[in-house]
Amino acid sequence: MIIKIDGKECTCESGEFLIDIAKRNDIFVPTLCSMKPVLLDRGCCRVCVVELTENSRSKIVVSCIYPVERECEVFTQSEKAVRERGMVLALLKLLAPDAKLITQMAKAYHAPELERLEPRADGGSCILCGRCVDACNLLGTSAIAAMNRGVTKEINTAFGAPATTCIGCTSCAQVCPTDAISFEETDSTRTIWNQSFELAHCEICGEILGTAASLKHAANITGDEPSSLCPKHERRNSAKSLASIYRR
Amino acid sequence: MIVTEPHQIQKIMEAYPAEQRYALAILQDIQNACNYLPEESLALVSGRIGVPVAQLYSLATFYKALSLTPKGKHIIKVCDGTACHMCGSSSLLISLKQVLGVEEGELTADGQFSYECVNCVGSCALAPVMVINANYYAKVNTEKLVAILEKYQPGGEFDE
Repeated sequence: MIIKIDGKECTCESGEFLIDIAKRNDIFVPTLCSMKPVLLDRGCCRVCVVELTENSRSKIVVSCIYPVERECEVFTQSEKAVRERGMVLALLKLLAPDAKLITQMAKAYHAPELERLEPRADGGSCILCGRCVDACNLLGTSAIAAMNRGVTKEINTAFGAPATTCIGCTSCAQVCPTDAISFEETDSTRTIWNQSFELAHCEICGEILGTAASLKHAANITGDEPSSLCPKHERRNSAKSLASIYRR
Repeated sequence: MIVTEPHQIQKIMEAYPAEQRYALAILQDIQNACNYLPEESLALVSGRIGVPVAQLYSLATFYKALSLTPKGKHIIKVCDGTACHMCGSSSLLISLKQVLGVEEGELTADGQFSYECVNCVGSCALAPVMVINANYYAKVNTEKLVAILEKYQPGGEFDE
């Protein structure tokens, strides 16, 4: 099947998501929640809206969750698409007034100033997309989830207390599109989600390997001993042992 | 009777197969038996059906039917829909606070009552409406309120 995106003919399979087709053809569609690494969760930031014309009828679709099933023409920069995207970003800016990326995007995509609405009083950068929760679930730790509902909804650990399953790996912070999850790190500890974790260092060079708990979690899955060397020295060590085997 | 012992919670859980999809049903049953969800119960449920504690806590904070703080034996719901609001549900709430001596959502010292403000219960012609357990009370004012609560006090008509 061939569809047209911004005038460019793109080949695709039926059922493929619009944003994936666009990306493959080097057509940029801005998004927050379906950035790489792609997790299960999509369709929650609504920034990737585009205009789609099918049988001379036009509609706005969310490209990351819109499966293409028929031939159609897509416009990522039409007046309607730009207006919708601007509005989405204007609202996200009120939800996450401290998020630098959103402020920049709101400016770049001409988001209107919504004077009759107040920005979220307690500030913050979280847009509640849930990527962090998905990342934590994928790791099998499931330490965080969405708590409460409506305007009080937030991502947190159960009871806001240190979670026994949290390993301090910061995967949640790494997949966050707006850098809303903060953590502190000293030479020996890392503090995230209301608890402190001991850091493990490479036995030779002292480089930080991660938290002791995260190394143990990884070792449990693979069935090995927790590693005590950085990748560089791990390689050097195995090279040495290989060399000694062959010299014998 | 109010239960909170781990073996009693165990018994509630055993009524359902140990599958994730029964999470909400189990939590509801614990809520009914204990009048709230004790912190330890979430860990017990998690251990049995394999749903992480964080996700159970997420459910417990999402649904109004579930509560993490103890609720009274009798739960008083004051309707604050448009009609009830106009007919003085806010003064009813103030009276309740005076009579019971606790804030909204809190438990009275004897564990008998807790009250909450809810959205329209659909009986606008009877405004202001108050619901205790499953009993509806119409056109409630401060005088009526004291008489109604009397029936739910220990030894009262509706106190079982």
